[in-house]
Amino acid sequence: MKRFYLPLFLLFFLIIEGVAQDFLPNSLVTGQWMVVAHWVLIYLVLISVFYDLEYTYLSVMYGIVFGLMIDVVYTSVLGVYMFIYPLVVYAVHGMKKMLHTNFFVALLLTVIAVGLADTGVYIVYSFIGITGISWQEFLYIRLIPTLLANLIFFLLIYPLTKRKLVEWSKERFSNSNNL
Amino acid sequence: MSFFRRTRLFIILIGFIVLVAFIGFSLRDRDDLTTAEEFLKDSVGWLQGIVHRPAQFTSNIFSNIDDIKNTYEENQLLKQRLAENKSLLYEIQELKQDNEELRSILEKAESISDYEPIQASVRSQSPEPFFKEVTINKGKQDGVRANMAVITGEGMIGKIQSAAEFSSTVQLLRGFDGSNRISVTVSQEDKEDEAGFIIGYDEEKEALMLKLNSYDSEIEDGALVVSSGMGGVFPRGLEIGTIEEVTPDKYGLTQMAYVTPAADVDSMDHVIVVNLLADQQEEGEE
Repeated sequence: MKRFYLPLFLLFFLIIEGVAQDFLPNSLVTGQWMVVAHWVLIYLVLISVFYDLEYTYLSVMYGIVFGLMIDVVYTSVLGVYMFIYPLVVYAVHGMKKMLHTNFFVALLLTVIAVGLADTGVYIVYSFIGITGISWQEFLYIRLIPTLLANLIFFLLIYPLTKRKLVEWSKERFSNSNNL
Repeated sequence: MSFFRRTRLFIILIGFIVLVAFIGFSLRDRDDLTTAEEFLKDSVGWLQGIVHRPAQFTSNIFSNIDDIKNTYEENQLLKQRLAENKSLLYEIQELKQDNEELRSILEKAESISDYEPIQASVRSQSPEPFFKEVTINKGKQDGVRANMAVITGEGMIGKIQSAAEFSSTVQLLRGFDGSNRISVTVSQEDKEDEAGFIIGYDEEKEALMLKLNSYDSEIEDGALVVSSGMGGVFPRGLEIGTIEEVTPDKYGLTQMAYVTPAADVDSMDHVIVVNLLADQQEEGEE
């Protein structure tokens, strides 16, 4: 049963991303800033840092599935998030091996992941002509506000999820070794 | 080790090919969504509906408090308007009767301004700001089809991008590009009406770009822009916005006007999908 918690949480964040506009103050959402909620990605990073072992790639698998779901539900171009989320999470998984897992490393990896994913999404979308904004505009209007907003989300979610993830990871992978 | 490195490279390459294939698949003009997409959209939409209700309830409480603050002033204003409206109502009734009589003489019952409204409420907004899309809670089962116009009480807000069985995606006016033109008329009180096309949205000016058919039209700022019903996609008479400024276009051959949308896209909960009746009849006859 416990192994269904992760996809359920991811699904929850996916749903909340779309409804979030109602929670947030209007001035934040409708102003000239483009704030993108990468909450699924942040949770994926947390999974990859605290849940995955060195040789398991669950977070990457979830990245493919939920990336595709974001593509289908929220955008009319398929494949973009499905490609970029797992790639970024895979990079995070690789970097995690070199660093100790603690709060600051998780923070750093989250910032890197959100930055990379947002830039990647921008590159693909500008390449296929969905958007026409310039690099500078992208940096000031979209990337920096997005990083800040997602940082706040990370600070909220980290204390709530970290211990549980470690716990579930221990339960799951020690059991499978016994079997 | 080199084997692993090679497989990793291989997987990323395959991923890239899949990316290109998916983008190619979704960028071509698709009339319908695939069944899998519809299923996913519907089920996520259903879950969003559940989450949306308490969220809306709490945000409503705050906006209600805001409203109460201004109630007195608004009430004064509305009383004034009411008196004006009564005389207007009479005039409209007269005109309607006139119109009906004239139509019956012409033996033309259906007009391109008749439509059946489908009430819907907004469920979610795309978190990806490059796509100006919102999801509503009515789909094919309720008669919603792709390319229908979507309005609020204030004016037009967009069109249906794609419809699943129980939910559909609305492309907002802000996201319009050259591929979905709306033919409009600029109506003025004391001058002749001007025709033109909405050809896209200017992000910097936050206004719709309206290409006028004639190059020497005299349009005052603040003139009303309504859809003209030509082209058969949108009915006649949907309010779109007001003229902000008129400038000659790049080549000096036509005029370009900037239109401020009438409806406030960002704070809407309930929308109306416009089902064109004249169009439906044609389909029935076929």
